[in-house]
Amino acid sequence: MRLLRLAVLAIASLVSADVNLTHESRNILPSTFKPAQNFRNVNLVRNINLEKSYARETINVVVENVDAQPQSEYFLPFEQSSLGRIGGLEVRDKKDPEKAGFLVDVVEVDPYSSTEYYKITFPSALPSKEQLTLSITYYTLSALSPLPAQMGQTDKQYVLHTFSAYAPSAYITSKQKTKLKLPGVDVPDATTLPAELNADGKEDPQKQGTTYTYGPYNELPAGAIQEVSVRYEFTKPLLHAKLLERDIEVSHWGNNIALEERHWFHNRAATLKNHFSRVTYQQSAYYNPPTPALKEMRFPLSIGSMDPYFVDEIGNVSTSRFRSNIREANLELKPRYPMFGGWNYSFKVGWNNDLKGFVRRAKGASDQYVLKVPFFEGPKQAEGVEYERVVTRVILPEGAKNVHFETTVPLVSNATGLHPTFMDTIGRTTLTLTAINMVDEFRDRDLIVTYEYPFAARFRKPLVIFAGLLAVFAVSWVVGNLDVSIGRKQKAT
Amino acid sequence: MSATPLHDIWEASASQPFLPSIGKSAQFTVGFTLLSIAVLLTGLFGLNNTLKNLPLYGLPASLAFGFGAVYVICAVGVYV
Repeated sequence: MRLLRLAVLAIASLVSADVNLTHESRNILPSTFKPAQNFRNVNLVRNINLEKSYARETINVVVENVDAQPQSEYFLPFEQSSLGRIGGLEVRDKKDPEKAGFLVDVVEVDPYSSTEYYKITFPSALPSKEQLTLSITYYTLSALSPLPAQMGQTDKQYVLHTFSAYAPSAYITSKQKTKLKLPGVDVPDATTLPAELNADGKEDPQKQGTTYTYGPYNELPAGAIQEVSVRYEFTKPLLHAKLLERDIEVSHWGNNIALEERHWFHNRAATLKNHFSRVTYQQSAYYNPPTPALKEMRFPLSIGSMDPYFVDEIGNVSTSRFRSNIREANLELKPRYPMFGGWNYSFKVGWNNDLKGFVRRAKGASDQYVLKVPFFEGPKQAEGVEYERVVTRVILPEGAKNVHFETTVPLVSNATGLHPTFMDTIGRTTLTLTAINMVDEFRDRDLIVTYEYPFAARFRKPLVIFAGLLAVFAVSWVVGNLDVSIGRKQKAT
Repeated sequence: MSATPLHDIWEASASQPFLPSIGKSAQFTVGFTLLSIAVLLTGLFGLNNTLKNLPLYGLPASLAFGFGAVYVICAVGVYV
């Protein structure tokens, strides 16, 4: 099963590097589609945060309905090449951040079009001439590429980030600027733009500590692009997970929730110019300089976690530590080898918890239960982790039905099915949820599942064994009392 | 209606955490006792294999084995 999955993964990565380009949640629109010019971006400020190994972009934009009719659909364009790397897109009303995010989905114009759109649906239509402030957040995976792509084992790593100085927009933008937040001040290259473009007549970028600003710019047409790039020091791993599979197994009989995560990691950092030198590595191990190699991972687990394990393809990995007390439960793992640029490592970790903190009996309904768990956990790294695909499987007790779920993580698919395992007669009800292009900032997002677990289903396991054994006794009585003696039957007197 | 109905159910049920009938620490004791009873009763049934003994020994032995097996497999870490 595991081998098969690895094979599938290998084939999938061979077929296309961007697995997520062909994803599930797209509405196909006619190829003539072009968003109607119903809106105007009155003012736009875009923040690109590059402090981690992925780019987090926040676009705060005041949109105005310039149409005569009320409008509720706002489109956000992306290049086809970058769409497959964008994830976690959330839109909120900046003036009312407490409210839930707006409905967002990907629309596909046609497979060969260079531009595709995210469609943002407002909860209520925006009347004509009215304004609304949107706060759009998204993450771009594989956004940093090491330059030079090869380096010595103890060198500093520089990464290149290429983006457009103009924010992506399907509408006319009256005023905008782009702010970059870099992790440090060592920035050897940043594309300069002439002062004529800038509204204030200054040459871009304007530097202020680790913040670089492009803009402000005056009115720009829809789809305007000005490609710029910035190269800066980032001597940290660029940790990229091709796949994360997470199993959440609920056992009412055992009073236990078992969690397991299987990670397939790849380090996108610069590869080693020469062979790996163990001597250099040992020498530097003492003063612990910044390095693009992954040496350690920390999993902060929920309090009360127990029985952790850390296993890779070879077997148990003994370089792990579990610190558990009443205030915290930290799992500290060292991979079997330091993971340098271009290297892979896959492993699984798992742990148990008492069910008490995760499952409650729903109020007002008998036999109904509520489960609340993090959608995924994974390591918490200072430099961040990006996940191409996260598949979370909730394995509920056998016979659970009426399963509903709720999460703030943007999902691409969900399915319910059966998972047959130990002592099952029909298999346990499972809920499989898939999210793509996730980053570790989503690791604390909760998944809430409600399910009905009727009385009859609860006693299925012991009663099946009971019935089986009773049948064995009955058969043994029948067989034991068969008269198989040879010769004349003795007359009963 | 709230935008997060399931979260509201979770909050409303705060006073009703899941309470197991047998805690984790007691699972092995309970399971092992039940299995021992099952073995004992099976032995008694085997000594005197009659129809009268089927409900007398067979039925309780099967019941004890059913629940005992479930608890012992939980106690050894296969949470069913």
